[in-house]
Amino acid sequence: MSSRPRASGYFRTDYAADYALLGTRSARIWVALFSLALLLFPLVASPFQLDLACQVFLASVGALSLMLLMGYAGQISLGHAGLIAAGAFTVGILFRETNAPFWLTLPASALVGALLGVIFGLPSLRLRGLYLAVSTLALHFVVIYIGGEYETRRGFSTGIMIDPPQLGSLSVTDGRAWYFILLVAAASTLLVCLNLLRTRSGRAWRAIRTHETVAETLGIGIAAYKLLAFVISSSITAVAGALFAYYRGFVSVEAFSLFLTIQYVAMVIVGGMGSLLGALLGAAFVTIFPYVIESALLALPGAQGFASMLFAVNYAAFGLVMILFLLLEPLGLVGIWRRIQSYFLLWPYRHRPAAGAHQ
Amino acid sequence: MQLAVNIIVLAAIYALLACGYVLIYRVSRVMNMAHGELSMLGAYLLFAAATVFAHHPIPALIIAILMSISTGVMVYVVLMRRMTGEMVLAAILTTIALGILLRGLVVLIWSASEQHPLQSLGFTNPSLAVFGGARISTCAALIVLMAALVYGSLFGFLRFGRWGVRMRAAGQNPLLAAQRGINLHAIYALAWSLSTLTGSIAGMLIALDSGLDQSMVVIGLKAFAPALVGGLDSLLGALFGALIVASSEVLAIHYVDPLLSDVVPFLVLIAMLIVRPWGLFGTREELDRV
Amino acid sequence: MTLLDVQKLEVVYHRSITAVQGISFAIRAAQIVALLGTNGAGKTTTLRAISGFLGLDDARVSEGAIVFKGEHTENELPHRNTARGIVLVPERDKVFPNLTVSENLIAPIPHGVTAAEQRRRETLVYQFFPQLRDLRQRIGGLLSGGERQMLAVASAIMCAPELLLVDELSLGLAPVVVSELLQRLSEIRRELGLTILIVEQSAPVALEIADYGYVMENGHIVLDGTAERLRAHPDIQEFYLGRESGERRSYREIKQYRRRRRWYG
Repeated sequence: MSSRPRASGYFRTDYAADYALLGTRSARIWVALFSLALLLFPLVASPFQLDLACQVFLASVGALSLMLLMGYAGQISLGHAGLIAAGAFTVGILFRETNAPFWLTLPASALVGALLGVIFGLPSLRLRGLYLAVSTLALHFVVIYIGGEYETRRGFSTGIMIDPPQLGSLSVTDGRAWYFILLVAAASTLLVCLNLLRTRSGRAWRAIRTHETVAETLGIGIAAYKLLAFVISSSITAVAGALFAYYRGFVSVEAFSLFLTIQYVAMVIVGGMGSLLGALLGAAFVTIFPYVIESALLALPGAQGFASMLFAVNYAAFGLVMILFLLLEPLGLVGIWRRIQSYFLLWPYRHRPAAGAHQ
Repeated sequence: MQLAVNIIVLAAIYALLACGYVLIYRVSRVMNMAHGELSMLGAYLLFAAATVFAHHPIPALIIAILMSISTGVMVYVVLMRRMTGEMVLAAILTTIALGILLRGLVVLIWSASEQHPLQSLGFTNPSLAVFGGARISTCAALIVLMAALVYGSLFGFLRFGRWGVRMRAAGQNPLLAAQRGINLHAIYALAWSLSTLTGSIAGMLIALDSGLDQSMVVIGLKAFAPALVGGLDSLLGALFGALIVASSEVLAIHYVDPLLSDVVPFLVLIAMLIVRPWGLFGTREELDRV
Repeated sequence: MTLLDVQKLEVVYHRSITAVQGISFAIRAAQIVALLGTNGAGKTTTLRAISGFLGLDDARVSEGAIVFKGEHTENELPHRNTARGIVLVPERDKVFPNLTVSENLIAPIPHGVTAAEQRRRETLVYQFFPQLRDLRQRIGGLLSGGERQMLAVASAIMCAPELLLVDELSLGLAPVVVSELLQRLSEIRRELGLTILIVEQSAPVALEIADYGYVMENGHIVLDGTAERLRAHPDIQEFYLGRESGERRSYREIKQYRRRRRWYG
């Protein structure tokens, strides 16, 4: 499927092996160990670390959907925060107006996301590249405006409070419960994305991304697949927004600024375009980054003076890191990982054979 | 009548900011998303120069302008030069990241509170009476004047000279342009310095008129709409786009709802993208023979 | 006198693919020299090396020298080489697609000519290519293949070249159009005293106009000679001009055929 070098002696001998998600035995072992670690984590983690992990899972859902759209289907979208806001506001509005339970609001969010996906995706039928990005940006502002209007009209100028989701008489407030819920959400999103990419839609998206005109001459319905990419991606993003609303218990328009969109785009870029693993790595990196900066800052002497500047330092550091990645390692963290992998696999050769060089 | 004056002032602001987008796009097909932040930086540089040279406005202004030009050149030489040849998306993302970096740096250096370079320079900003009972502040009148001046000189330089054609050529096919004797690095650096200069002038004048804090980046972002509406590689288009967007915004605020001010430019943008994506005077770029 | 001297040139792509493997040749002033060969022989890469790579291509001259009028010009930026008088007519992307024909002709920056001389050149170019005069306001991307090639050569002439490099002139063009272009090129050479290095896959086309030729295979030069000698050479006739040299019957002749074919790579 991909042109990555593999250790020699690795052969696929039947179709089942070709389709398998985890091809080699070592891959299976590593995934099993990792899953075990994830499951046992809450037993040893502090509440702060649990919260951090929950944030990473939440971010992963959004990052995976954006990776699907940008990294695989090749459609640039700068409206991600608007879609998250849409999902969160759906939950907020439904909860406030009708006191709907979570098993109604979540599908409603998905539906709203899908609808918005159609709207966000319509420009992609006529526009490409920069113009598409601009149209999604403009739509983001429109969505934010509508959300803001709702807040002011209905008197929620500081934001909408939401009760935690109820299941009968149990309400989900415990950090550990949230950990597992969000873990399941992230894992299922990953599986959905992986499988989508291995089907006809995934191949169509890759074709569209590589060369749209040629894809069309091969009989791939460009319009349908582009819209499909937008709809699926927006739907997942809206659900992420809904989960975000329940997790925080609070929805307000200020949380969904352009900076949030850029954070998600950074997750995709820093992680590595065109790779679901990249989305996960990027989500983890961008989520944990501010906390690392904060601890680094507090470790410096004269820390008190800096504390008030924390937000600005975050901004500046974030911009700097993004620039460094774009300049030095455009393939992102996954690129770094693959380079390390290639080094060991190809040694003593230094470069991959010419056939794969253009990828 | 006051409405007309407001429209003209806002159009002048948008026009001054929009031509920065156009210059860089025309020459390198890159959308400089850091333009708002660079303009804000120019304004802060003026404030810094004003505090150092308090009550000596002329040297302060000159120093601020020189620093803005060098910032533009530096941004190209240090950062964007490495992006030539990469995907345009990567270049745009680099400018976005640069904008974020600048935003953080500005707050770190000058703090987040509002500044008033006008006081430091020792100027006042009296309100002038114009015909029809409308009023305009001195600085706003200056903005309109500067916009006319800047556009006049740019038109003289670009439209009626070969260099306008060469800038467009460099944007369309950089390799061929280099093979026809056009020094790409020089042209890119020129575009970046001109763009930063015009943006900084806009930023400085806005700061003199109504104070200085980070909200200026919002205006920079909104000014992107007039650039696109007019056609991303057309200066004339930027002028028309500024007028159209400014009129829509002022009229919407007056007759419909003041909260609309941040959204109207984007609504106009969406409308234009639906009807005519390449803008009023832009070049259609979908020409490729497969 | 030798205008261009290429010495043991080696060009590497992506730090791993050696496209040109140590070739040497020289071009005298006012000559037309042809580089022949099949796809992937390294001809275009040689031309690009002489005219200069831009960072986009991830290619560089790793060994050897290119000496133009006594100066070393390896790994220079394209616009510097153009200023020296080396101008390339590329194979693809040869015009500015969104500029009109007349804008395409005023965009180039020539070296060392006055404005009056430049205007004279423009009139000259319209004399060489009268079709372009009628197409002045047409957008470059909307031209037909032949018109586009004419515009490409015309805009190269506007750069006041001393050495004109032409890459795959005949690609995608009807034979009638190609002969017309070749005629114009000879006229231009006569009028302006240009030196031309032409790269061609189609040997008949190249040998029609060239004085001297080099044959490249897999990054090496395997044969060279004057145009008459090359046209008469049995191997060129067989492999590049498609003429059968009679039926091969005996086993010995087939072995010889295979051996000679192998020599060409």
